[in-house]
Amino acid sequence: MTRYVIRRILQGIPLLFIISIILFILMMNTGDPIATMGGRSVTRPADRIRLTRQLGLDKPIYVQYIYWLIGNDWTKVDLNGDGIPETSGTRRGILRGDFGTSIVNRGTPALTLIVQRLPNTLLLMLASEIVIVLGSLLVGIYSALKQYSTLDNFITTLLFIGYSMPIFFVALLSMYIFAVLFKRWGLPYLPTVGMFDPQVGQTAGQVMLHMILPVLSISLVSFAAYSRYIRSTMLEVMGQDYIRTAKSKGLPRRSVVLVHALKNASLPIVTVVGLDLPLLLGGAVVTERIFAWPGMGRLFLDHVSRGDMPVVMGILMLIAVAVVVFQIITDIVYAWLDPRIRYD
Amino acid sequence: MSRKSGLFPVFAVLVILSMVLSGCGGAKPAATTAPVTNATQPATAVPTPQKKVATFIWTQEFDSLNPMYTNMWFSTTTHQLWLCWAWNFDENNEAYPNLVTEIPSLENGGLSADGKTITLKLRSDIKWSDGQPITSEDFKFTWQMFTDSHNAVNSAYPYDKVSDIETPDAQTVVVHFKDPFAPWIFMWRGILPEHILRPVFDADGTLDKAAWNMAPTVGCGPYNFVEWQSGSYARFAINDNYWGKRPKIDEIYLRFVPDDASQVAALRSGDGDLGTFIAYSDVPTLQQSGIKIMTQPSGYNEGLFFLINKKLGNPALLDVNVRKAIAMSIDRDGINRDLLLGLTKTPASFWDALPYYNNPPLTNYPYDPEAAKKLLDQAGWIDHNGDGVRDKDGVELVLRYGTTSREIRQNAQAVIQQQLAQVGIKVDLSNYADDLYFSGYGQGPAASGKLDIMEWSDGPSGFPDPDIYYWLCSEIPTDSYPAGSNWFFMCDPELDALIQKQATQTDPVARQQTISQINQMFYDKVYWLGLWQDPDVWAVGPRLSGVKFSGVTPFFNIADWDLTQK
Repeated sequence: MTRYVIRRILQGIPLLFIISIILFILMMNTGDPIATMGGRSVTRPADRIRLTRQLGLDKPIYVQYIYWLIGNDWTKVDLNGDGIPETSGTRRGILRGDFGTSIVNRGTPALTLIVQRLPNTLLLMLASEIVIVLGSLLVGIYSALKQYSTLDNFITTLLFIGYSMPIFFVALLSMYIFAVLFKRWGLPYLPTVGMFDPQVGQTAGQVMLHMILPVLSISLVSFAAYSRYIRSTMLEVMGQDYIRTAKSKGLPRRSVVLVHALKNASLPIVTVVGLDLPLLLGGAVVTERIFAWPGMGRLFLDHVSRGDMPVVMGILMLIAVAVVVFQIITDIVYAWLDPRIRYD
Repeated sequence: MSRKSGLFPVFAVLVILSMVLSGCGGAKPAATTAPVTNATQPATAVPTPQKKVATFIWTQEFDSLNPMYTNMWFSTTTHQLWLCWAWNFDENNEAYPNLVTEIPSLENGGLSADGKTITLKLRSDIKWSDGQPITSEDFKFTWQMFTDSHNAVNSAYPYDKVSDIETPDAQTVVVHFKDPFAPWIFMWRGILPEHILRPVFDADGTLDKAAWNMAPTVGCGPYNFVEWQSGSYARFAINDNYWGKRPKIDEIYLRFVPDDASQVAALRSGDGDLGTFIAYSDVPTLQQSGIKIMTQPSGYNEGLFFLINKKLGNPALLDVNVRKAIAMSIDRDGINRDLLLGLTKTPASFWDALPYYNNPPLTNYPYDPEAAKKLLDQAGWIDHNGDGVRDKDGVELVLRYGTTSREIRQNAQAVIQQQLAQVGIKVDLSNYADDLYFSGYGQGPAASGKLDIMEWSDGPSGFPDPDIYYWLCSEIPTDSYPAGSNWFFMCDPELDALIQKQATQTDPVARQQTISQINQMFYDKVYWLGLWQDPDVWAVGPRLSGVKFSGVTPFFNIADWDLTQK
């Protein structure tokens, strides 16, 4: 197993290089950071020329990639526009842990911006994932055991309604009902936006209160898919011979379902969750925007719309690394869940 | 065997547990908040009951608070809270002194006759929030930092027009320009504290990474900056060292809420006292909730620009009569009435918000499709092949009309396409993200001559100064000058001469005459076609009173704002 893990990690390195090149080329062609630097006015020509030079955007794309990768402190740059490189570069490159500085938040390290937002996103997304997985497990197991019962049909219909609704609709609707209208009707109400009320401060109670609507929105849309996965794998497993054997041996129903059946039925779920977890880092772009949740999704959206390469590449590479790492973890969890699986 | 599953109580307990655990995960302010600022006072929480605390909703988070590194309206608008300009502008967008004793003019000797020297006389009682006096050295330092090549500033204009600054004493600033410079009123929008930033510049060789950019703990406004939590909010509290009028509101929070619908919900539920850039479609809903809508001209008007170039554009647009026909084919008043709920008007002049320069005031081309058809017939554009689209010498009258993807623009495009089709002009529509649309030559569609009709909201570049420069012949983008701003690829020598002339005329009367000629030419030759006025639209909650706005320095009278407690 150790050899397998090391092999997978080593395979991941060239993969990450290829991903970084593809993403870099893609990001370079999706917009010009200088285009929006004029604010409400179009950027002035003299400023365009100067900023293109000062921010290193006049270099060929492969040179910009190399500077991003290994820095430019080994060379000089021309800041004053006389054509002679006179100032030493200050970038160390991503391989030395320097994600670069944001073009939009000039001078702020990209990693600082990412690290500020990451815990907020993990909080929201992990809570949502836990709610989704637990809720789906319960609904999925019930659906499998009481297939086609009235309650099963009712719950399934509700879930598919939630699945069909666009998330921004669910988010705005829940905001209007539980925040605006409930307050107007004199009922206990939830806050509209934000992670906490700045006048009260970032307390556990405040964060939990502000999390209810965003988590509800994210979960409602995802319950259906997960619960159907669990329902179908449970049905398949419950029909197996060893389950019949366990029942005939007189084991309690809870033990048959939760120990023998669920453990085997959960293999596909582990795959889905394993694939989902790294993507959590990207945040829920629409939900974060609507609820003004200060997470990675909003950071990505704000910075990609202004062509802020260092921050955008930092986020994307973080997600790429997480995907590679979580795929390895998923394989290990597989082997733990199913002793028949061996990698060596 | 009991069929009753014990699962639901388990479910309930687990959900509650997970919420509690994840909520606890957030209860570590030091770790999770990690504010952008690294030199701020701690986020002390609850204001005392007597404090008046207002919350403004900001739909865009500022990128930097240092005026060097941002041109975002959402950043510069905060200046009247915590920073200071040499002069502010009132609700009529007229300048009045702030740091100076009087606005420079020819009469008081502040402006030299040749337009190349401006002398500022500073007040002697002005100070930074740490008690240090604001002096001429701060002004000179500001100019030096904006123009130093080691600072990647967003815009060096207009400081790059200055050749030298003398500071004969602490209250006198003598600014020398390379050439006569008429738009000087655009200068000194945010003075930098020399005593704080000079040591930083000397140590780092640049101000790009200064902590002050994101946490300007020393300022010169009625409020002090306190903290900025990335993605969440920024906070300002009363400056006890302020040399001007003390405000009535003790603290102001700016909450960042990017979504328009969420902003409306927050305003309606009282989570915000002030909203910005309200969409016209949201105005009735807000008014019904007791929220006041105030509009303030800020120089911007939405309008159409035309590609008038033989090689790149459709030859039809070279003919002024075709452009006039287009002007008469679009029911612009109808667009204002139906798409913008009648809350704005059609601007006839690029200087619509500056009546001094739109003088005599222009009137709009009427909506007259029949007259438009006649003009097109006379110009030789007739539908020879019966396909519903006019043509001439084998060229079809098909125009490429592109703008950004903002919803109101797409709606207007659809209406305009339909109305132009009725007079036999075919229009192909396209939409782009902002950072692609406004990209330069070679990347941006407008800058590369790929759009016959372009649309965006614009106004005189240094409002309330009337200066313009896009239409200069020297600004046509080329391979050797890709930064050119003349995205219309047109050269009108008479217009070019007038634009160059007005930029040097410091005598307002002479300048007004030149601008009037340009104004008339824009109309006669249809170089620009106004669609709707684009004022700042504010939503003022019921708790606020005494509120006035300016189109240049929106919070100019923030000291008079008052708040009734909930």
